[in-house]
Amino acid sequence: MKKQALSIVYMFLITLFFASLVSAVKFLNEAKIEANQIVKLQRIILKVLNIPVRETISNDDLTRLFTAQIKDIQTGGKILYIGYEEDGRTIRGYAVPVGGPGFWGPIEGMVGVTPDAAKVIALAFYKHNETPGLGGRITEDWFSDQFKGLPLYPIEGGQNIFYLTMEGTQKAANELDAITGATNTSSAVEVFLNQDLDYFLRELWGSIKEKE
Amino acid sequence: MPNLPGKKDIFLMGLWKDNPVLRQILGICSTLAVTNLMVNTLVMNVGLIFTVCMSSLTVSLLRNYTPMRIRMMVQTLIIASYVIIVDILIKAYMPDISEALGPYVALIITNCIIMGRCESFARHNPPGASLVDGLGMSLGYSLVLITIAIIREPLGFGTLLGLRILPEGFVHWTIMIMAPGAFFTLGFLVWIFKYFQPRFEDKEKK
Repeated sequence: MKKQALSIVYMFLITLFFASLVSAVKFLNEAKIEANQIVKLQRIILKVLNIPVRETISNDDLTRLFTAQIKDIQTGGKILYIGYEEDGRTIRGYAVPVGGPGFWGPIEGMVGVTPDAAKVIALAFYKHNETPGLGGRITEDWFSDQFKGLPLYPIEGGQNIFYLTMEGTQKAANELDAITGATNTSSAVEVFLNQDLDYFLRELWGSIKEKE
Repeated sequence: MPNLPGKKDIFLMGLWKDNPVLRQILGICSTLAVTNLMVNTLVMNVGLIFTVCMSSLTVSLLRNYTPMRIRMMVQTLIIASYVIIVDILIKAYMPDISEALGPYVALIITNCIIMGRCESFARHNPPGASLVDGLGMSLGYSLVLITIAIIREPLGFGTLLGLRILPEGFVHWTIMIMAPGAFFTLGFLVWIFKYFQPRFEDKEKK
């Protein structure tokens, strides 16, 4: 009986010690991790709006550039970002959040769209749990660069805005390369990107125009 | 264990003779998963080396106080704590790499090598020896992972550490990027290892 009580006390103490240790490390680094995430999102938004950013830019400068040229707007339950030219008045494009379930977990990204909502400026993903080296390659440039200049039109008659197909089998301009070895990730990306872009064209874009 | 071998022998045991991947076939999950890119492999190795060493050290320090029946719970707790600390530090100071490795860092917890060393070595042996054992084992693991990555990344992507080393026209062996490529490479390595190792050991005995 005494032995069992000792085990419980021992376990309790050792859990207390390690939980405190982990909490302390977490507490000390939390601000830094949060700042990393905010800067990462800002960098992604600037990237999809094709606003040039120096490779070596410091986090503070990046945030300054971001606040000077980007404004957020809330509509249809989503936060969209409006990018302005350097004069601060002419609209350069919109950054539209996209996302959905991937193969392992949720994928989140941003798509930059031209002011007339006719074309994609660029696309980038900033959060995913896909397999590194396979589905994780959605963040590589060769994949996202394919979307640059993709024409946008609402989905009609079951025709997607774009398709991801096997490398080298493309017949139309809206057929892009899927990731070899990551069929599930590729189809997941195809599904939610088409849905989110269609929703933007049908619902969000109109309501932004009204608000402006 | 009354007669403890010297630290050098303990170290070499993990690195080569009793290599966790090739001999004990432990830690295969992560061996197969991260080795298609060298960068991911290296970060995984650093994470594992830290976790194995620290866990072995801690378990060894507590070995005379931990009640037998709850020792595995205690080990899991210790391992999990160190892994979470590694995960937090990578997220804070190497956000790009944390992104590339995704869930794998947190999954170091499930690497059998760590608990294997705690159970079979650290809980019977003094802290110094346990630390050396952890270092040898995790470096042995790292060595195998790096070898596999050196084979898989160039054949699968034509690059090593992201730098192109094979000509542009090289047809990528897609299978090398995927899980089967890892199985084949590992299988060959285990084969080669099993072929040569008994010969080394015979020589030593003579």
